[in-house]
Amino acid sequence: MEVIARPHAKNLVRWAKDRPEVLVLSADLTSSCEANDFRDAYPERFFSLGLAEQNMMGFAAGLAREGFIPLVHTFAVFICRRAFDQVAMSIGYSNLKVRLLGFLPGITTPGGATHQAIDDVGLMRLIPNMNILECADATEVESVLDVAQALEGPVYMRMLRGDVPRLFPQDEPMRFNRARVISEGYDLTLLSSGICTEEALRVTCALRQRDIHINHLHISTLKPFSDPNVLNALKAARKGVVTLENHNVIGGLGSAVAELMAEAGIRGPLVRLGIKDQYAHGASRPYLMRKFGLDAAALLEAVSGLLGRGVRIRTEDLPQDLPGVSSKASIKAEDL
Amino acid sequence: MQRVAEISLTESNVDSVESLAYRARRHVVAMAGRGGCFIGSAFSCIDIIACLYCDVMRIDPQRLNAPERDYFLLSKGHAVPALYAVLVERGFFGRRRLDHHLQPSDDIYLHPNRNIPGIEFHSGSLGHALAVGIGIALDIKLRKKSNRVFVLLGDGELNEGSVWESIMVARAQQLDNLIAIVDRNRRQANLPTESLVPLEPLSDKFAAFGWSVRECDGHDFKSLRTAFHPAPARSNAPNAIIAHTARGRGIASIQDRANGWFMKLDEGQRLEFLAELDQSWETAR
Repeated sequence: MEVIARPHAKNLVRWAKDRPEVLVLSADLTSSCEANDFRDAYPERFFSLGLAEQNMMGFAAGLAREGFIPLVHTFAVFICRRAFDQVAMSIGYSNLKVRLLGFLPGITTPGGATHQAIDDVGLMRLIPNMNILECADATEVESVLDVAQALEGPVYMRMLRGDVPRLFPQDEPMRFNRARVISEGYDLTLLSSGICTEEALRVTCALRQRDIHINHLHISTLKPFSDPNVLNALKAARKGVVTLENHNVIGGLGSAVAELMAEAGIRGPLVRLGIKDQYAHGASRPYLMRKFGLDAAALLEAVSGLLGRGVRIRTEDLPQDLPGVSSKASIKAEDL
Repeated sequence: MQRVAEISLTESNVDSVESLAYRARRHVVAMAGRGGCFIGSAFSCIDIIACLYCDVMRIDPQRLNAPERDYFLLSKGHAVPALYAVLVERGFFGRRRLDHHLQPSDDIYLHPNRNIPGIEFHSGSLGHALAVGIGIALDIKLRKKSNRVFVLLGDGELNEGSVWESIMVARAQQLDNLIAIVDRNRRQANLPTESLVPLEPLSDKFAAFGWSVRECDGHDFKSLRTAFHPAPARSNAPNAIIAHTARGRGIASIQDRANGWFMKLDEGQRLEFLAELDQSWETAR
């Protein structure tokens, strides 16, 4: 599998070239959020506002009100936690075309609880008018701005940076409110998002070889959450539904699925894999994915539990040939 | 309980804090070699922290929760290797624990947390700890005690509006037991502070908000001690100490360099840095 270095950095420059109304705002994390190539290419459209995120959100709202399209770049925690009121009131309430690019989603950073956005999807889901997109690979990083561009209101995007694997063909971009069908089957329905989809692929791959067929959907639009294919897949699940996300199980994908199932009267077990309502800590990505149960091994256990018979696949049997960032994560300056 | 703040300064004292700061810098280089750390930021404030823990604060490593202790909060949390190193040198925990830097088996990682003996509060998200310090300082006032609260801030951190809310409220509550130290290394992330959101005239800003302000050389222990001694300086006014420093101070090849922020050292670099430290230590002596 191909791994792309800094896909957002390159794509942003290409994408913004003929869009003079697009501005990039940064809160002193310019290269950390891969906005430095844009800054060098179009310095007149780049604004670094110091590490002052609350001010940056109001500033973006003012610019959007006047017809600009601000792309706000900072870490997810600083958009969603620090500046929540400004995002909700100045951007959400006024339904302005501001694009919020949140980097370091979930446990993709070794920086500990202060830097790990395990609550960002939940917080953004609470804001009326807000749309939420999440990237899982280089193809989605390269197409997420197009998806956002077609939307009139505000958009929050969970971004990936650095070395990003390409899981999906380049000619199959992210589509708004449309799940990707990764595999079909009626035994179980699995919904995964973000970096967890790579882990899920390892499991579904191994299960298929043992003739266990999982209906696996990859979710990149977390709000709205009204894709009829998702509802159908939930209804079709014979032995249950599993969600796997790089987020607290409260407020994110697992919650959205639970709400949908309850409202549609879908019976059957739902297993929500994700961070179980606790703060994480500083450590490598693979370590944290294992410890907090976001990895292939955790998924395998959940699947075995729902199928009610030994799946007879050991963690060691899972394919290793999906070389993504998770297998080679190491701390770099730009991780912080 | 040591009451070093009240003792007069002696030559032997000066020697000991300087050698402690030198040994602490060696620990930080070791951590930069074990997965990397914000070495530049740690070296701009390590002398300040060494001075506080040797010559200024009332602390007792054997009694972490001693009711009469002074408090230290590191608001610029990414500089935590400097604090780990000084805590080790002052006996809060064993040196060997630093070998666990970034190991999942321990809590010695990139931002401070309370699982480390001597760390009073976690940090890492900037612009939080001065507010926490105000809460502690007010409690001390209400209990009519004489503990002091030292909060070390980065200069870039002063971009955050929350810091200025704290600055106003500290004055409103007349917290003269609060000492905010600004590590004025004039850099934030990869840019000079003055080219991004200029802070100057910084002393005037604190003074205009009703604080008692002093400036000092943040790498000169005599200058630091003079600034700290005696605090509080003026009744009812919170205290700001603007310590002029240099990012990466102690290692000539990275000092004041934009890219000397976070560094992960390979074995060769680690040895070079140690040699540079030894050289500047020998020269200083």
